[in-house]
Amino acid sequence: MMRTIEIFLVIMIITGAFIIASLFAVLPSPRQVSPLNLRRLALTTLQTLDVNHDLSQTTFKPTDDPAWGELQIVLSACLPPNIVYNLTVYEASNNEGALYTLKKSISNARSIGIESDAASYLVASSNVTFSVTPEKVGEGGGGGTLYILNCSNANGWWITGYTSQSLAEDLYNLLSPYFQKTIMIQNTAQLAQILNGTSIQDETLQNAVVINTFGEAVPIPSGYYSSSGVGYDDAHGSYALYCYTLGKRVLQYNWTWASIVGYPLYYVGNTGLFPNEQNGWGIYGMRNVGSAGLNAFLRGLDSQAYAYDGTWITGELPGVVYLSNQARYYCNYYGVYPSPYHTATRALPSSITGTYHLNVTTYVFGQVGNWNPGAIYRHPAIINGTTRFKGSLFALGVTRTPDIRLTALGILCDYKPRLYRSEYTAAGTSRLVVLQLGQTGGV
Amino acid sequence: MTGATIDHMISVTVFLAAILLFISLFNQTIQTAVLYQRHRVLATKCSDVLDNVLLNPGYPLEWGKTNSTPAAFGLQDPEFTQYRLSPFSLMRLQSSTGTPVYFGPTGLYYNNITMGFGDFLLVPYTLAINYSSASKLLGINNTHGFQLTITPTIMVSITETQAENPLILNMKVFGIGFPLPNATVSYCFLKVGEKQGQSHPYYTSFFGRTFTNDAGSAFLTVQDIASEDSYALIAYAHMSGLVGIGYHQRVSGVKRYVIPFVDSFEDKRVLLAHSYDVHNQGPPESAVFYNATFVLLTEDFTLREMPMENSTGKLGKIVYGHGTEKTYHSLTIPTYNPGILVVTYQSSNEYGVVLMPWGISSMAFPVAFGEVPEGKEWVATDVRQVLVNGIAYQAKLSLWSLEGYPVVG
Repeated sequence: MMRTIEIFLVIMIITGAFIIASLFAVLPSPRQVSPLNLRRLALTTLQTLDVNHDLSQTTFKPTDDPAWGELQIVLSACLPPNIVYNLTVYEASNNEGALYTLKKSISNARSIGIESDAASYLVASSNVTFSVTPEKVGEGGGGGTLYILNCSNANGWWITGYTSQSLAEDLYNLLSPYFQKTIMIQNTAQLAQILNGTSIQDETLQNAVVINTFGEAVPIPSGYYSSSGVGYDDAHGSYALYCYTLGKRVLQYNWTWASIVGYPLYYVGNTGLFPNEQNGWGIYGMRNVGSAGLNAFLRGLDSQAYAYDGTWITGELPGVVYLSNQARYYCNYYGVYPSPYHTATRALPSSITGTYHLNVTTYVFGQVGNWNPGAIYRHPAIINGTTRFKGSLFALGVTRTPDIRLTALGILCDYKPRLYRSEYTAAGTSRLVVLQLGQTGGV
Repeated sequence: MTGATIDHMISVTVFLAAILLFISLFNQTIQTAVLYQRHRVLATKCSDVLDNVLLNPGYPLEWGKTNSTPAAFGLQDPEFTQYRLSPFSLMRLQSSTGTPVYFGPTGLYYNNITMGFGDFLLVPYTLAINYSSASKLLGINNTHGFQLTITPTIMVSITETQAENPLILNMKVFGIGFPLPNATVSYCFLKVGEKQGQSHPYYTSFFGRTFTNDAGSAFLTVQDIASEDSYALIAYAHMSGLVGIGYHQRVSGVKRYVIPFVDSFEDKRVLLAHSYDVHNQGPPESAVFYNATFVLLTEDFTLREMPMENSTGKLGKIVYGHGTEKTYHSLTIPTYNPGILVVTYQSSNEYGVVLMPWGISSMAFPVAFGEVPEGKEWVATDVRQVLVNGIAYQAKLSLWSLEGYPVVG
């Protein structure tokens, strides 16, 4: 009997041990066993919201700015419905005392739940980034305006894979810091306005740079500039006369006219003026001028009388052409790095410098024999008894598709604006964004 | 003596029974803990595999823009870091939801992501990466099953509130169950112009920008649209870094139309086929004339049309059941910039327009790749916010073990 009692005592002891062990061996809840990686979700959410620096901009706005409301809306919109969040913004301080000071907190729930995780993301104000202040072209007086043709009522040619508007936008980003004022010419009416000598935003019209982003085509305004005797050559049924007028205006206003790719001024374009005409390759709103366009332009630039000349003057160079030493140097100076070699099938002959009294002031590509694949030609003129330049053509005779960085590099090589590098000494301009996520529902 | 023996036997029996019972109880607890550990490992594996897929472009880096099979699987856009995915790699994933389409003239089956009439993405199976290959490349073949879904975060739903004169369209922008008030909406409206007889249709387009109201809706009013007119509207909505896309088209004819098939990523070539050739609907039918264009989203969130030259094959006529005439035409897309191929068509005074994304993000098509997780015993999931060419998506991976763990011990 004693043994049975002993056994029962043993059973009681083991039962006690099991109960005690079970009390301590608490199994985790299913959510803990197979958790959603909330930390990664929080981080990727912050990265998504900051993709266009919207989050960075919002965090530096006053706490009552409507942008905080928008941030709350997009957070609610992009997180799964069972996720609650708490977004807190701290200011990073380098003063004595607290390292982080609370600036703002937004949440969509009173409690973040039992299980949560957070990710942090450091944002900097746009005015603390290490900055380089460029000298503005025309700071010394005269000029300093950059016109970029962005006409919505014209199509481009030989800009395959891009639209003129996307090229214009890239050029704006690349070059606008170097100019006093950058004007996007939004339609051909505005182009007519500057051709008439009227500024658009009180900018200086003289000595401007005009970049034609339409490749081998050039926008033509309807009305005066496409009329007979001004833009249209009745005798030859050609708009080469418009190119001649353009050349004269370039000379008159001392502009630098930039052609980004191919044969300059080979087509004229205006979707309203030529709705049913195409360039022979299926692009409507465009009309072929041919090689007469460039010849007429150069005549206008040289103040010669207009004559229709359809002679093809560009050359197709074998192999590839390389950036000039000068261009390579300025690649590093301005941080613009296009490919160092390109194919050039529309290189201009060096003989035009004699025919039209031009001086090459910048070689973007090295000269190949008697051909210039990319160069800036300036027209000398005597002003107040001094020989200066008046009117210029920047022609990149490379094959499509265009690399817009070459255009930017060529302009910078020629104007050579200096760069003043500033030091980063700003304080109190970094903020820490912490996004804490929790799950609701379930167990 | 007998009593002691009986006492001994009873005690030993009870002791053995108790020991067996307790071993079983302890074993139950230990087994459950081991299972929980395995599930925890599965969740960690899920997170790792998801990061592996999203943070690695695969090899070759630009495999999405080629016709080759990758030697390493990954979906990251090689031009970026972090969670940015290639819109072309995603196009090459074999969908686990759409029914394959057979196109007789090429003799190929096509992977099908179709979002309704006129919104097609058909990629040949020979170019699509299948689940088995991806599983092998990820090193989880025979050990784990998975499904990767990539769905747009912001949706733009477009409905007609008035069909004609003026046409009024409601563009409703919402996130995951939450409307987006005050969002900017850029749109492109494209109306098919009717030319009588055997000719290519033409189109007119205009672009604009508007904002959503408190309910997340923006209304577009278009004058001079009759109820029989065909048109397409493409709308991009953006707000604080989130970008979403919607599209809507109305056609006057759905009997004969154009169906675009991706033919080669490397050559940017698309085949435009007669719908009768795909549906195989019997006797000869009228030819379809088409006129194609390409629309892309610029960095400033505006839509732009990229004119296409004739050599791309933008104009053409496709026939069905007429002897030796060509049953499809090929068209070359001029760029690797993601955009939308818009094909207007005309056949026997029926007009319409079909759309095809070039880069999965340009029409915010969702992707479901892999096995369906329904019915699997224990599925771990994980989610990331990703960007595909600037469009916000959510990537969700469901992963399960193929080694037969029970759910409970």
